[in-house]
Amino acid sequence: MVGLSNEVNSTMSNLETLLSRDAYLLAIEIRLFWFVAIVYGVCLVLYLIHLTTKKTGPGRLGTNTLWLGVITHAGLILLRTFEGQRAPFQTLYESLSWFAWSASVTYLFVERKWKDIYMPGILVTSLSMGACLYALLTRSPAVEPLSPPLQSYWFEWHVVLAFLSYAVFVVSCSIEIAYLAVKPSVKKGYKLEYGLNMHNLETFHRQSFRLALFGFPLLTFGIFSGAAWANEAWGRYWGWDPKETWSLITWTVFAIYLHSISIPKWKGLPASLFNILGFICMLMTFIGVNWLARLLGIPSLHLYAM
Amino acid sequence: MTIIQKIKNINEQKIRETWFYRRFASLKTSCILFLILVGFYIMGTIFPQGAQLDDYIRSGGKFTSLVIFFDLLNIFNTPVFLIIALLLFINLTICTFERFLTLRSQRKAIVEDGLLTPAYTFPLDINQQKESTEESVRGIFKKELRFKEKTSPTHGIYIMEKGWSYRWLTWIYHLAILFCFFGFLLTYLFAFEDELTLYPGEATAIKPATINRWNKSWGNSAQELDFRLELAEFITEYNQLPKLDYPADKLSRLAFALGWKDPKYTLKNESYFPKDWKSRLKVIKGGLAVLEKTIEVNDPLYYHGITFYQAAYNQNLKIQVDDNPILFETESGKELIIPGVEGMLKFGTVRTGTLFKKDGSTEKIKPFTEVVLIKKDDNRKIETENLGKLEQGGGIYIDNKRISMREFKEASILSYRNDPGVPILWWSGIVVLLAMSLRIFGAWYRIIYRIEEKDGMPHLLMKVKTRGLMADEERLIKRLQHSLMNMTEPIDLNTPV
Repeated sequence: MVGLSNEVNSTMSNLETLLSRDAYLLAIEIRLFWFVAIVYGVCLVLYLIHLTTKKTGPGRLGTNTLWLGVITHAGLILLRTFEGQRAPFQTLYESLSWFAWSASVTYLFVERKWKDIYMPGILVTSLSMGACLYALLTRSPAVEPLSPPLQSYWFEWHVVLAFLSYAVFVVSCSIEIAYLAVKPSVKKGYKLEYGLNMHNLETFHRQSFRLALFGFPLLTFGIFSGAAWANEAWGRYWGWDPKETWSLITWTVFAIYLHSISIPKWKGLPASLFNILGFICMLMTFIGVNWLARLLGIPSLHLYAM
Repeated sequence: MTIIQKIKNINEQKIRETWFYRRFASLKTSCILFLILVGFYIMGTIFPQGAQLDDYIRSGGKFTSLVIFFDLLNIFNTPVFLIIALLLFINLTICTFERFLTLRSQRKAIVEDGLLTPAYTFPLDINQQKESTEESVRGIFKKELRFKEKTSPTHGIYIMEKGWSYRWLTWIYHLAILFCFFGFLLTYLFAFEDELTLYPGEATAIKPATINRWNKSWGNSAQELDFRLELAEFITEYNQLPKLDYPADKLSRLAFALGWKDPKYTLKNESYFPKDWKSRLKVIKGGLAVLEKTIEVNDPLYYHGITFYQAAYNQNLKIQVDDNPILFETESGKELIIPGVEGMLKFGTVRTGTLFKKDGSTEKIKPFTEVVLIKKDDNRKIETENLGKLEQGGGIYIDNKRISMREFKEASILSYRNDPGVPILWWSGIVVLLAMSLRIFGAWYRIIYRIEEKDGMPHLLMKVKTRGLMADEERLIKRLQHSLMNMTEPIDLNTPV
């Protein structure tokens, strides 16, 4: 009896140690995540100062600070991977974190070739900060094991490529908006408007198209892998689930955008508007559909659980 | 050309000149059709697809008259949507055909293009005859820069390309999308699905309650399949998931961040998180087990064109009140009214099988369920009270009555489906992805050049066209400049590099 009691005590002690360890790691993770969210916020403020003062100093500092945020965030994601012993994009908390990081990383990758152009950073950092705060303030940070439907080799491929496409579309849209905002002034002949002038404006704008072009096959793969996975898991590759349908809407809108570049009358402002519309559809696919499905009481196999 | 061929050409020309053909060979038409389809898709996300009208109205659904008139609860099967999809298919077919004809007649256009103003001019500072200079430059493009001659030189104009032809790749993935439409059509016409509930030890015949649209339109009825399915064993596994003590409100979460408190995991009232549920199945044909497989979510059973998926499971419980030999039957998750007990009892999922604990050990679960008492007050407000765990063999007391779970029986719910469109969609989907990726990411270059004498010196006049995100015109020009600077002798095209 004593031996059994000792065994039970030892087991309980092991469990308590494990629980304490997990709680400690989660505490570090949550505080680190808050730090990352604040860093994104600081970057946003710096970019806004750049916007209002037209000085490049705050913009450059914003980009350098964003590097700090992104590197810290990468460490955070690795920590989460270690905690969960799996890829960290199951819950909405994790997906929001992943989205924020991938959008910022994509922006920094594209931005490195620009000289003193920081305007697109406003949208990117605001979305990244917003995603982080939404995760921290409203979603549960608990680390959960993968539920049976998610235990598939498709999980990582589908999510990584879909989110990479989302990140690319975010940066593409931010360039598009910056272009539309600055174009009238540049066309009027102002010498230097936020690093953009008559010589580099169209090259800058072309990046928006190239990014959307880059993201389109990734989104296509995201939809294809989702359909293949659904076929394996549920026996139906397409069920007009709200999430599936919104991803198709996003794909169709970007298809319209890419085709409209080849239509002379649609090449300019209409194409730009399609790009922005595609970005809005992407946000609906990622976040909006959860809210819409709950609001309208429509069941969805893709709803993120609280 | 024979008379028949001449007639065919005339007819083809006439068809291609019709209003319908010209409209449907247009990219603008594709965009307009896409936009219309987006409208349908959005409607499909606002109105719950597949829902019954009564359920829709009961749950507070609005715009009922519109829903009925436009069949908004089944919008993707409405004739209007199908017609738009058909128009898109026709548009894609005509565009693909037109593009094919254009691709075959590219050569003339390319040569004509070569006569226009060049983008680059390089002086060639070598002391050679013009023919040798041409051979040297040709050698640079072919051997060093790995270009291939597209056509033999015409009027001294050379055309070379490198990389996969982006036009053909674009054509290929559009053609593959056409095949996808074909796959969707097969699914629409010939796919059928149904559900099957299997109890352990029972071989169940499979007769679909639904038939595909094709058979339905011919008045055919569903046929029983020539094999049976037996559930040898149903297995459930759970992970031990500690509960996280973490506030829900925003201010408290901010306080946590500032170090006011730390999150905490506890094992009190821990949840059993589903790890897996599996069915060990046997396919029985002619009285013999011809196939045995354990299926789970994401790992179905394929047999004779039918795929069986682990969809869900249900549990039948037998509840005893005091020592009454008559048992109440219920299902987990459903409410049960027991005479003498105020309110209704709801029995949660019976946890049984294996528990994978946090410390890596495993434990056989003694079957139990969570019991909740549901009461409605005078204002029809629902109150619930958690009565706790009810283990098999144990009991809980409510209203002086002892409630016990005498036995429970699990059944595995499988969904099964036959869909001949899936293989076509697989292959065409792969082709779409491959061709699209090569077209968009791959690098393709075309150079058109000629050598001209200017101011007593040969000059290389060149135009470059690139496609694909990996194509780098600047890098190509730099490499060419470097090669041209090092060019002192003619390069022998027959000698490998």
